Amino acid sequence: MTDYARPEENTLGVIVGKRNRAGVPAGSTAGRAMRQASARGASLGTGYLGVGASVLAWLQGAYGLGMFLSHAGDYPDIVPAAAAWVVYALALIGVAVTIATRGEKMPDWLFGTFLLALAGVVVLDLLAVWSLHDVGRYATAATSVGFGLLVALTLRRSRELLAAASTLGIVLVVAVLLTTQLTPANIPAQILLITVAMMPVMFGLYIVRRFRRIVQLELDRVLVQSTVSAPRFAVGMLASEELARLDLAAEELLEAVATGRTKLPLSPKTASIAASLATELRLHLIEGRRETWLYHAITESEQLGKSVTLADRGSLAGLLDPQQRDGLLAAVWLLVSDQSKATPTAQLTIGPVTAIPDPGSKSIIVPLVITTTAVPRSRVDPATWDAIGKVGRFLDSTHNSSLRVAIECIVVNPADQ
Amino acid sequence: MCDYYPVEPIARERDRLLQRSARFIGLGSTVVALICFSVPGVMPFSTLLSTVPLFVALMLCLYRVGVNQSLVWIVLGILSGLGILVVVQLPGETPQSSSLGAAIVPLAAGAIASFAVVLTASVGRIIVLVVGFIATVALAELAIPGSISVQDAEIVIGWVLAAVFGAWLSASIPRAARRIYSIGRAHRAERQASETEAQRRQGARLLHDTVLATLTLLAHSGVGVAPSALQQQASEDARLLRQLRLGATPVPQSSGVYNLEPVEETALGTTLESVKQRFGRMGLEVSWHGTGQVLLPSGVLDAFLLALAECLENVRRHAGVTDAHVTITDDESTVRAMVTDAGVGFNISDIDEARLGFKDSVVARLKDVGGNARLFSSPGAGTTVVLEVPK
Repeated sequence: MTDYARPEENTLGVIVGKRNRAGVPAGSTAGRAMRQASARGASLGTGYLGVGASVLAWLQGAYGLGMFLSHAGDYPDIVPAAAAWVVYALALIGVAVTIATRGEKMPDWLFGTFLLALAGVVVLDLLAVWSLHDVGRYATAATSVGFGLLVALTLRRSRELLAAASTLGIVLVVAVLLTTQLTPANIPAQILLITVAMMPVMFGLYIVRRFRRIVQLELDRVLVQSTVSAPRFAVGMLASEELARLDLAAEELLEAVATGRTKLPLSPKTASIAASLATELRLHLIEGRRETWLYHAITESEQLGKSVTLADRGSLAGLLDPQQRDGLLAAVWLLVSDQSKATPTAQLTIGPVTAIPDPGSKSIIVPLVITTTAVPRSRVDPATWDAIGKVGRFLDSTHNSSLRVAIECIVVNPADQ
Repeated sequence: MCDYYPVEPIARERDRLLQRSARFIGLGSTVVALICFSVPGVMPFSTLLSTVPLFVALMLCLYRVGVNQSLVWIVLGILSGLGILVVVQLPGETPQSSSLGAAIVPLAAGAIASFAVVLTASVGRIIVLVVGFIATVALAELAIPGSISVQDAEIVIGWVLAAVFGAWLSASIPRAARRIYSIGRAHRAERQASETEAQRRQGARLLHDTVLATLTLLAHSGVGVAPSALQQQASEDARLLRQLRLGATPVPQSSGVYNLEPVEETALGTTLESVKQRFGRMGLEVSWHGTGQVLLPSGVLDAFLLALAECLENVRRHAGVTDAHVTITDDESTVRAMVTDAGVGFNISDIDEARLGFKDSVVARLKDVGGNARLFSSPGAGTTVVLEVPK
């Protein structure tokens, strides 16, 4: 529908087309927000991270050039080595200029050209040091190529970069074996050469992956946060969109019938479309607004959706005020997202209201129990207790070596509203 | 409405990422350093052995730095690394190997420098960074035979890269966080708009009822209805849906049963006439009897008309007759409609009420507004439905 150029990566830094493998379901709130934000060609922080990677590449390049100049006198023929540095500098400048003028993306042609240039650098540099029989000591531009790959770190897929770095590593190992007589005196330098060539990309990919994960979780959390100001009952974002979609589909079908584009009597196929539209529309209208903000928060969130279950038969969560909701959401979030190995889960049970309100009091007490698995009491983030405190008075205990919290939420009696 | 997002979670994530990065680089470099040290001839075996405890300490500190923010582990780690640099240059029986210089680079420029990643956040930490850096360069310079060398430059670049990386990464996350929060604010506005929109659409129940009726006709391929009538009905429904979509409030027409105006009370008579016309076009002649003008609250009227239209639709589809009678009566508290036809009828126990949509669309909606519906029929004797709603 919209005619915009799709960016290479979306807001979460996930390369387009790889989104589902990255774990964000396309239908989730985060998925939708990602699409919306990527429609504006935005990137969330990975752009800046990519610039940082380039800065590291430039710094290391400047250092490598210094090294080269410092033993320029050792080369039997300096031309290939100097040419390697010229090509390397041109490649880095070229990519920087393209990114500056055409935006943060690296289309295939650019990446291909860049790799070709880097391959040229390696070949030229190895040619220059071949007759010196100590690649580890004299290779300079070829070593920097490992850092040079960093400029594509946030713009290309991991496996492409990994393949490039591995190829570089293998080429250098082969060159070392072919040219250098290995002795205890020169082995450390060779190991260093291979490490410096391969480490940057591997480490960079690790960082980018972690960074994207952080951004993704934070986005998920912030999007879900918007439910705290929802009314007591809400339809949720997906339902409302779905209703709009069904209305539009119905309108188009009726329009087609009205104008005669679709001939009467209808073909069985069109008739069955009409039948399923009617069924879906009926369901959506009957479904009404029975769910609370908490239900929507859990179902719309990637993180909470997979680890939190909710039992709230009386829809009592809707009675919580924004501050209590905020606290509850933060607490649950901290409980289920903070573990690295085990996959923690939480079960929220709200109600039933048993305590009889004092006569004349405008509030009632809603009991809320958080039962967890794989959340040891000792590993709970201290911020969790503050967050739970915002919901109400609580008692914590340990159940099956995992945390259990019973909270008394004081809410305004709905009968008085 | 609370208009803030706590910064803590993402700040904690940032620190954790920095710590893990330091550990990643540090442990990787330590392994490489150990390999370089173990190359025969780089250093006497006794020296190598005496560095092993320090290497273990260094790795332990790096591991702890990955999970703990405390400065203690950082300082201990740097000290163990410096300790290794001291041990390798202790005077031994054999002269120092010329390859020692290259061998200590992964240690000095990688393993020890990795602590720089977590040392850029505060002034205190930067001081530790500078002291650690100077100590490393000085000790390395002493360890490496000869004058200012390639290795010194490598150590400097190692520390520079680690520090720049740490500073850059810690600046990246707040930037991303600001963007995320602005998306969050936009999202909240969107959620409110979407909620309002859903209310508006769900509120347009009468419109949806006529759309549903037309769609149901189309689901039966429009068989049994004059094409021109169906086209006209479809055109009107499409127009109203378009108005709804464009955000307008469609004006109720006398030819349809839709009422999108938020009216408190509506006269029953005019809307009944429109139901009659609609079914007339579909080939079912509806005759009205009884009270013409009854005022009903708009929610009750909606439900009442929907139920009535559903009943007439059932007559049209199943009864096999072309006319139906609707008798409206009212007393002080209740409005009652009796829908009768002289059609084929059916044995109530034979037919699942749910199949007629009776339970869902008629009974459920009437119950919503405090009303009720009853069904009487027997084969060959036609069908009668009594609908009741409170006034």
